[in-house]
Amino acid sequence: MSLPATALRMLGAIAVAGAAGWALMRLFDEGLGRLEKVAWSFAVGLVTQCGIYLFWRSLDPGVGWGRILLADGVLAGCSLVVRRARGDFSLGSVREKGGWPRPSIWLLALVAAAGWSVFLVQALSEPMWATDFLAIWGLKGKVIFQTPQWAERLFSDAGLFWSHREYPLLVPVSLATFAAMIGGWADQALALLWPACELATILTVAGFVGRHASGFAGAGAAALVALCFPLFQAVNVGTAEVPLAFALTLVGCALLDVMESGSAARLARLAAASVFCVSTKQEGTLFVVLSALVLTTRHRRMPGRKWAGAGLALLAPAAAHWVLLRLVTGPQSRRDFDFTLLAPGRWSELAVRMETVLRRFVETEARTALIPLLAIAAFLLVTRRGVGDVLWPIFAVQLACYAVAFSISAYDPAYAFDAAFRRLAVALFPAFLLILCTRGVGIEGADVIQTGSPPSVRPPKPEGSAA
Amino acid sequence: MRSSSPRPRSGLSFRRTAAAALLAIVGIALATSLKPREFARRADLLVRALRGETIPSGQGTRYWFDPAYAEFLEEVRRRTPEDARVVILAPRVPDTYAYLAVYVLAPRRVLTDPGSGEPGFVASYRSAPGARGEPITQGTLERR
Repeated sequence: MSLPATALRMLGAIAVAGAAGWALMRLFDEGLGRLEKVAWSFAVGLVTQCGIYLFWRSLDPGVGWGRILLADGVLAGCSLVVRRARGDFSLGSVREKGGWPRPSIWLLALVAAAGWSVFLVQALSEPMWATDFLAIWGLKGKVIFQTPQWAERLFSDAGLFWSHREYPLLVPVSLATFAAMIGGWADQALALLWPACELATILTVAGFVGRHASGFAGAGAAALVALCFPLFQAVNVGTAEVPLAFALTLVGCALLDVMESGSAARLARLAAASVFCVSTKQEGTLFVVLSALVLTTRHRRMPGRKWAGAGLALLAPAAAHWVLLRLVTGPQSRRDFDFTLLAPGRWSELAVRMETVLRRFVETEARTALIPLLAIAAFLLVTRRGVGDVLWPIFAVQLACYAVAFSISAYDPAYAFDAAFRRLAVALFPAFLLILCTRGVGIEGADVIQTGSPPSVRPPKPEGSAA
Repeated sequence: MRSSSPRPRSGLSFRRTAAAALLAIVGIALATSLKPREFARRADLLVRALRGETIPSGQGTRYWFDPAYAEFLEEVRRRTPEDARVVILAPRVPDTYAYLAVYVLAPRRVLTDPGSGEPGFVASYRSAPGARGEPITQGTLERR
């Protein structure tokens, strides 16, 4: 089949996933703007389609688009029934701040569109080729799609010892699901999943910042995400970094929303984001756990027992995913890390390795990114705290954990750092923009968040909560 | 609370301008990592693929280390059933040789250890003249 034909089918499959997600999202889309609803629908749809695919796959290896659509229809019907029972027929969305978009906003939106188009072209230009795609994500997806006894093959075949059996499976199962929907393993058309993830990331950040700061700030954040070419580049097509960046952004937004108001809808969204994040990559699990820790440190600012509910919404999916993955993969040994370095007898060796990693960071990455890092530091000086600032500890500890991970690598720590740090760090960037772009006075209208906002967006804080 | 207090308009304006300019610097720094020549190459590949042209493996990125390996794997894929075991004898460096063999030939079970002794096929890439098995494009294929 030609590329235009398979690409059109893939676009259709992505649209179907989004529609299925939208049907479910309507049950817990409280407080979201239009842009965010599109992004969340895509995320929920992706997870849902994977669940449906695995269900049918367990009954019969030959799953086609018909059965997936049938299940989507059933889910949409169930969603409608629940909404009718609740008397909820609203299609409205929270509007981003500001009136009709001004030329400056259109200009920034144009920059975002151009940046996204660049990634779209790179993603679709040839069949996916990244080493991690061939050895891990794409290989697993193809095996799941084409091999009847896929679990046995992936997790017991000694010939695949290098394929990281312990990794989460959302990306491979997504690829297998879309392959089933488009009628074959077309690894050039399947690459559209990555620009779709980027677009969803852009919409999530733009929507969230737009609703908490201003339309201008939202458009600026969208442009910054789209211009993050170190993340959205050809070598990352087919790997888990781009979906992970989207997942981290979802968790960040959902966490901040829950901290404002721990309604059931927002807790459900946080749980959905947690599912997406932990099933994408192990770094996502770390982010979720750190988010839960941040919740515990801020529990006095949250009403009643809402913080406990939020913690449960974050950690229960992570725990359930861990158990499920363990059941599927069986016990798998980790070959990437040498945990004996953590033993007291080897602390001096560990200290040397940590120094190597830190020196490597200063001499390579920090020097390369000196200008943007200084610009960010200056930006923090001229702006004031925003709603996203509570996320600081998550990013700081996440990066510290990366440093520790490189230090206890089974390989040379400098080699491990060079091989992975940049792509791990840039995956954090879109979510990090939730901190930058919601800071006060930084961008026009952002100072409003310090003094309150429309009730539909930010419900009044309950008595006893901190300002 | 701080933003509720009145502020000099000029100071506010300066901070806004400075903040926007600093984020613009971040955006420009990120954007400069794009390699225009590489992007142009990819755009050309995409246009040709959309026209229905088959892109030679030497012009793509997947077989950057050895374009001829694509022909060999395609030939092995064409000549072996999907449920077969295939031993691939190819260079060990870069390890992309092994990754590509396993990926391209899936769902076949691919082994890279010649001593496995399991029944199936042995495909040798660029094997020396006189190697056992039937000659195929860029190598030989032996059934055992």
